[in-house]
Amino acid sequence: MEARSGSSSGVARAGAFGGLRDSWDETVRLFANVTFGVSLLAFWGFLTLIGVVIEQGKDAAFYSGAYAPSLARLIVRLDLGNIYHSAAYIGILGLILCSMTAATFTKVIPRRIPRLSPVKIDAIPLHATVRIAGDVESARARIATFFAERGWQVRKREFGGTEWTFADKNNWARRGVLVAHVGFLLIAIGTTIYWAKGYSGQFAVLSGQTATIPENGVKVDLRRFAYRIDPIQTKAGTVYQPIDYVSNATVTGSDGKPQAAEIRVNHPFEVDGTAIYQATYGFAIDFRLTKDGRPAPGPDHPLKEGEGFVIPGTSRAIQYQRFVGTIDRVTGQPAADPRPNDPGVVIQAYDGEQPAGAAMIALGRPVDLGAGYKLDAARYVLYSGFQYRNDPGIPIVGLGAFVLLAGLCISLYFLPARLFVLAREAEGGGTEVGIAATTVKGYDVFQDRFREIVDALRRSERAE
Amino acid sequence: MDPFRQTLDQTLLVVGIAAYVTGALVLLAHFLFRNPLLRAIGIPLAIVGAGSQFAELGTRWWMTGVWPLTNLYGSLSLFSACAVAIFLVFAFKYDLAFIGGPVLALAAIALGYATTWNEGYMPAVPALQSYWIKIHVPIVITAYASFMVAFCVSLIYLVKASAENRYARRGPALRGAAAGAGSANVDLSVGAYATSPAAGVVRNDTPALASAAAAGDTTAQWLDGLPSLARLDVMQYRVIAVGLPLLSLGIITGAMWAKEAWGAYWQWDPKETAALVSWIVYAAYMHLHTRPEWRGTRTAWIAALGFLTIIFCYLGVNIWISGLHSYKM
Repeated sequence: MEARSGSSSGVARAGAFGGLRDSWDETVRLFANVTFGVSLLAFWGFLTLIGVVIEQGKDAAFYSGAYAPSLARLIVRLDLGNIYHSAAYIGILGLILCSMTAATFTKVIPRRIPRLSPVKIDAIPLHATVRIAGDVESARARIATFFAERGWQVRKREFGGTEWTFADKNNWARRGVLVAHVGFLLIAIGTTIYWAKGYSGQFAVLSGQTATIPENGVKVDLRRFAYRIDPIQTKAGTVYQPIDYVSNATVTGSDGKPQAAEIRVNHPFEVDGTAIYQATYGFAIDFRLTKDGRPAPGPDHPLKEGEGFVIPGTSRAIQYQRFVGTIDRVTGQPAADPRPNDPGVVIQAYDGEQPAGAAMIALGRPVDLGAGYKLDAARYVLYSGFQYRNDPGIPIVGLGAFVLLAGLCISLYFLPARLFVLAREAEGGGTEVGIAATTVKGYDVFQDRFREIVDALRRSERAE
Repeated sequence: MDPFRQTLDQTLLVVGIAAYVTGALVLLAHFLFRNPLLRAIGIPLAIVGAGSQFAELGTRWWMTGVWPLTNLYGSLSLFSACAVAIFLVFAFKYDLAFIGGPVLALAAIALGYATTWNEGYMPAVPALQSYWIKIHVPIVITAYASFMVAFCVSLIYLVKASAENRYARRGPALRGAAAGAGSANVDLSVGAYATSPAAGVVRNDTPALASAAAAGDTTAQWLDGLPSLARLDVMQYRVIAVGLPLLSLGIITGAMWAKEAWGAYWQWDPKETAALVSWIVYAAYMHLHTRPEWRGTRTAWIAALGFLTIIFCYLGVNIWISGLHSYKM
């Protein structure tokens, strides 16, 4: 009874495992299916396109202002403004990797070079018959030499007393898809390493001040920032074209040794495995607040664009919005020249949370804020904006990109092809050679080449 | 600025546009009437057009010392010149002259549109002052150009395939009429390229058109004179096989440049992601092209869609969407 029970539970277990195995096999088959893989690619492309069209990383208020209410609600609810970091996006990439892995192990790797076996030459769409002089033996030898001289790997086999000649080319290139998939996988691994171990950020330093990168303690002392903007005469008028931004800094890494660094766009500086990049620059303003002619407590440091301060004892606040390089003396409006010739700033006043008006004030000319307060944008201080990034995954991503490209080139430019050649005694003397060709990409793609091969064989035989 | 070089620059531009417009008309006429003389005139015009455009870009570089591909004018100029150059290579290697008309017409439109962005001679902004601009931009533009050529082939494929379906729907009457008139199909010199749908190869792949042509239908005769659908499909595949590795290399070199300029090889910038969308479309094309049941009309549609994504990536993102690639155009 017990034995029977054990046996039936074993059968049940085997059945359960069998069912599990069937499901597993079915899932692997699905993931290895090219159409399924392409469907995943299509979905990936669709999600990516959403990210291109919808501006990313903005808050709900931005989408409400930029889109119709229903669309804005959809964007916010589905988190389409942060699509590249959404579960759906990462999930689809994961599914693509699974699909590639399944296809690689079930289709690409097992697809060995086909066995050498006879075929029905006339049944293969790419076939031709060449009649050549001489007996069958010498014809076979000449054909073997003909193909070998042209880089084909020639092998002979006998089937049922009939000798077949097989010529292969680019068989190694059958691994191109495998190589491309491995490249894609390496890129995914490299990217994951950055997510797990890398870091990045940005900071701004005023000329003469020092900033510290929090993750690694690297100190950046900005000695001087310089920019060059040239007026260029174009068909549309004068354009003020930025030519150069450069930060002269002293960078101190973990070894405590200060190093002179000239950081400019396209020329980052690397310290302790972290690269520091010239990202932006701006004009910080040294605002001075007075009340009834005497200094009042205002901002204790030069303000950058977007920063502000509260006027003491009031509910009012002032925000520094943007720097104006040149104020047109005639119109009093900002001129096109961004260089600080006759500079000013645009400030925004707030009463509580409510905007109470904006104004442009010239540097060094105090403006009345009411209640005895005067604000003077006394001087500007150039600051430099940096980005930093530590990415230990880069070598693997680079290797993956190279491998992916190599795989693509192998797959697209080296066509594995096989020729089946059967030489038989022809009626009326001579030898009749039947040739058929197959490739891994169908027949159309090899049609021209096949014609050339057969023509060359005919010419070579005529020359003989 | 040297007036001689400026005049040379302007002259080469005018010669380029004139050669494209005339060449497009001549090759379109060749496309319609299959007159070898028109082909013999059109191809040299294409060579003159592309040659003068490359020379114009070289003159700009010589004149200003600034790499000429720092604005939309320069890149569109290179795009049209590369498209014509790729067409010429394929025309000579694979007898693809019949698509010269559409290719040159699109090149002329691209160059004409480019002139609207020509502001003169400007130095490059700091972000573009890198040796990478001499590597990344030509690679990407050449990829775009090859996709344009593939697009022209796919359009012709779709026109012929759609006509075949239309004629096939007209019923067997035409086929009967054609039965005694012999096959209008051009055969290979080697062997019988037998009908074998299972293998994905149909030598006479437009039988309805061939029948109608044999029955005297002039439109069908014209369409039947175009290369077979199978051949058009192979041509399209070959041009995309040039474009896809170039686009991949372009994305990779762009990532390397981005790492140097912006600190990260991938920033999810609209231009990067739009290029990724195009890459995905063409990668899907390549995957599906391995399947006989997808090869043909469906892959031709994908190739056409792919070029639309290229246009979006190239012009749409530059013009309408702001991002890290929004340099002065």
